[in-house]
Amino acid sequence: MKSNDVNIIEFNLCGQICPSTLLVALREINKNSASLSNGEIKLLFKTDNRDSINTIPETSRNMGFRVEVEKRGAQYEILVSNI
Amino acid sequence: MNISVIYIVITSFILGISSGFIMHRSDFCIAGMFRDLFLFKSVSKLRSLILLISVSMALFEIARLFGFISIYPFPLLGSPSLANTVGGFIFGIGMVLAGGCVVGSLYKMGSGSVISAVACAGLVTGSGIYAEIHPIWAIAVAQTAFLKGKITLPQIFDITPLPVISVLSLISLFYFYGCFRSGMMTRITYADGSIQPWKAAILLSFIGLISLILIGMPLGITTAYAKTASFIESVFFSAHLDGLAFFKLEPLKYSQPITGMPLVGGPGPKMDAIAMIQFPLIFGIIIGSALSSLILKEFRIFAKAPLRQYLSAGIGGIIMGLASRMAPACNIWHLMGGLPILGIQSILFLIGLFPGAWLGSIILSRVVIK
Repeated sequence: MKSNDVNIIEFNLCGQICPSTLLVALREINKNSASLSNGEIKLLFKTDNRDSINTIPETSRNMGFRVEVEKRGAQYEILVSNI
Repeated sequence: MNISVIYIVITSFILGISSGFIMHRSDFCIAGMFRDLFLFKSVSKLRSLILLISVSMALFEIARLFGFISIYPFPLLGSPSLANTVGGFIFGIGMVLAGGCVVGSLYKMGSGSVISAVACAGLVTGSGIYAEIHPIWAIAVAQTAFLKGKITLPQIFDITPLPVISVLSLISLFYFYGCFRSGMMTRITYADGSIQPWKAAILLSFIGLISLILIGMPLGITTAYAKTASFIESVFFSAHLDGLAFFKLEPLKYSQPITGMPLVGGPGPKMDAIAMIQFPLIFGIIIGSALSSLILKEFRIFAKAPLRQYLSAGIGGIIMGLASRMAPACNIWHLMGGLPILGIQSILFLIGLFPGAWLGSIILSRVVIK
């Protein structure tokens, strides 16, 4: 997905076992850390796991990224980007 | 139907609905609390569990002092053996692999998680498998038993629980006063309708207390998993079931404190006291969680997950079911019930739970989630 020339990479993590959602999100944030920091990409995590709705934003902020959380239907979308 | 039976069934059902609702809103996942300690070096969730145990400890002792608890220590809690620690260790591995404990899997299933439903099926299977090894395990339990006749820590020293509980309550009071003052107990939440874990811990302590007063025991559900296995076996392998000694046991024997009804029950395929108390609790937890997620419009049956994760949930469930009979009993029974009255079995279970959760976390991160 592209938005204002910034690539948004989506990950649908719905239905997964705990704590896969957070671990996958952490792995992807670390893997794409440089591109995230210079604003080339944003990461969008879709989840229905109530725990990771809180833990992904908390961990991402601790890593210095900006986080927006939005509820869409039965799931939540967590957008991680540079500040 | 007998009025006492209706009273027990309705009370257990209400306790279940309340627990399921609260656990879903706060995502009070005990497996996650232990797992995150090892996987993310995070104690923030575990702190809520310590709060739950501390508050329960004080509440149970106050209730005992005021004469609200008729049977103390409560039924089914027995003398210790090394089996409690071994059971706790195996249980710890299982609950982390399953992605939730015996109650966690239930409330997650209630909100539509198919993977947790697989874990619950594993729990029933594991409880059934235990019946096959029960004769050997019962010998191991007997041979490693110690402090016979002693159930709680104060009983070892022949003292009343009051001074020990008072000291522990005072320590936890100071500890949590500091935690609350420094903001460590409050979590930033984004999920709709979230209940702070510390509030959930206090609410669940009161639910445990109500269960202890009205039912005569704290919350416990795992014998019902074994009972479900026995009902299934009675349909398909009735001759084999008849030869299994485990399903003939009736460890629950007491008089219901409010109605005075004599209650007897065990894991066998009978609609006995275990069925009366634990089945409504199980259905209540599922319905409470389903209600919570429906109100939030978050209920959704979603089955798409990697096969590896389904295998982990199923195997974890089986391990947990097996361990809950080996221990005996589960984390909910020991942590929310036995530990608050300093049950020796529960302390030994907890000692095993930590290394079990550690090993489970290693397997989960290296094998399951890739």
